Amino acid sequence: MAPAFAHASEAELSRILDFYGVRWEYEPDVFPILWNTEGDVLESFSPDFYLPDLELYVELTTLKQKLVRKKNRKLRRLRELYPELRVKLFYARDFRQLMLKYGRVALADELSGTPGQVTPESSADELLAGPFGIGAPTPTDEPGATISSDPGTAGSPPPATAPRRRRQRPRTANRPTEAEARTTDR
Amino acid sequence: MRTPTDLQADVAEVLVSEEAIQARVAELGRRISDDYRGRNLTLVSVLKGSLPFMADLMRAIDVPVRIDLMEVSSYGGTSTESSGLVRILKDLSTSISGEEVLLVEDIIDTGLTLNYLIRYLRGKNPASLRICTLLDKPARRLVEIPVDYTGFTIEDRFVVGYGLDYGELYRNLRFVGVLRPEVYSGQG
Repeated sequence: MAPAFAHASEAELSRILDFYGVRWEYEPDVFPILWNTEGDVLESFSPDFYLPDLELYVELTTLKQKLVRKKNRKLRRLRELYPELRVKLFYARDFRQLMLKYGRVALADELSGTPGQVTPESSADELLAGPFGIGAPTPTDEPGATISSDPGTAGSPPPATAPRRRRQRPRTANRPTEAEARTTDR
Repeated sequence: MRTPTDLQADVAEVLVSEEAIQARVAELGRRISDDYRGRNLTLVSVLKGSLPFMADLMRAIDVPVRIDLMEVSSYGGTSTESSGLVRILKDLSTSISGEEVLLVEDIIDTGLTLNYLIRYLRGKNPASLRICTLLDKPARRLVEIPVDYTGFTIEDRFVVGYGLDYGELYRNLRFVGVLRPEVYSGQG
């Protein structure tokens, strides 16, 4: 059974991976990337896909390029703290080119950014069925909105269904220093 | 019906000129000839995009070569018959068991198709299997595959021409270029 994807573009990518016989897991791991001075996790990053055969995490964002600054920052932080991880970020332009390649440019426009967001009222499959029934804009695409995958902590819409249980990856690298343990999200 | 002039007018920018392609293909041909001298080489090309590159490359190689062609289905999304799993639409016409095989590709971007083809071809027990691509777009790579011969490493843009299509058109352009954005939105 397909997981409840947060965005219709993720559902599309899962189909592409299935098509080419590449095994994937959806948001299987959560990586803490920011702590307070007490060591409590303030911010986490959960890449959209893990491809076990390739030992590669894939993060897919269909936000416009000017809105991905925050995601880039989180990804940089993830790479600093977990240098052993291989993470690939697919931007909106990458996804669009993928759809162009497969002759699905209309779908690229349909699924990019806010229109592709899954709301509680619309499933990914419904979105893929056509341009109608697409949910209202969500706070996730607003400039400056936090893009943490953790529901309820970052202004994200609630998931379409209950989130899957995910592995919480303990930080095995350095403990955060005072300077690192920022309490604000910069 | 779109004419060649129309097709050229749809191009916003020439990324790799005809002259640059021909010079590079000749250079690749020399390298491949040197590497495979005294060995039996089979070039395997993947339809349809690799056809012009294959045709030029094989003539730039001066050692005996055999050629074969394959075609695999392309991802078509949820609403077409081609969805499901990738399929071999045209298989090799001769055995490559024990042969030195060079897979000739037009472009490598995600590496998903190539990854599938390599797994498939390795199952046919060639003596060796190497990769030659005209264009490499490493920025979008999902599957890391070592490429033995690369024509051009290009930036992350959607390209057409010299075999590469958009909507099955533009394959017959003699250069590699980028289309005007209006073409994709159907206003071109």
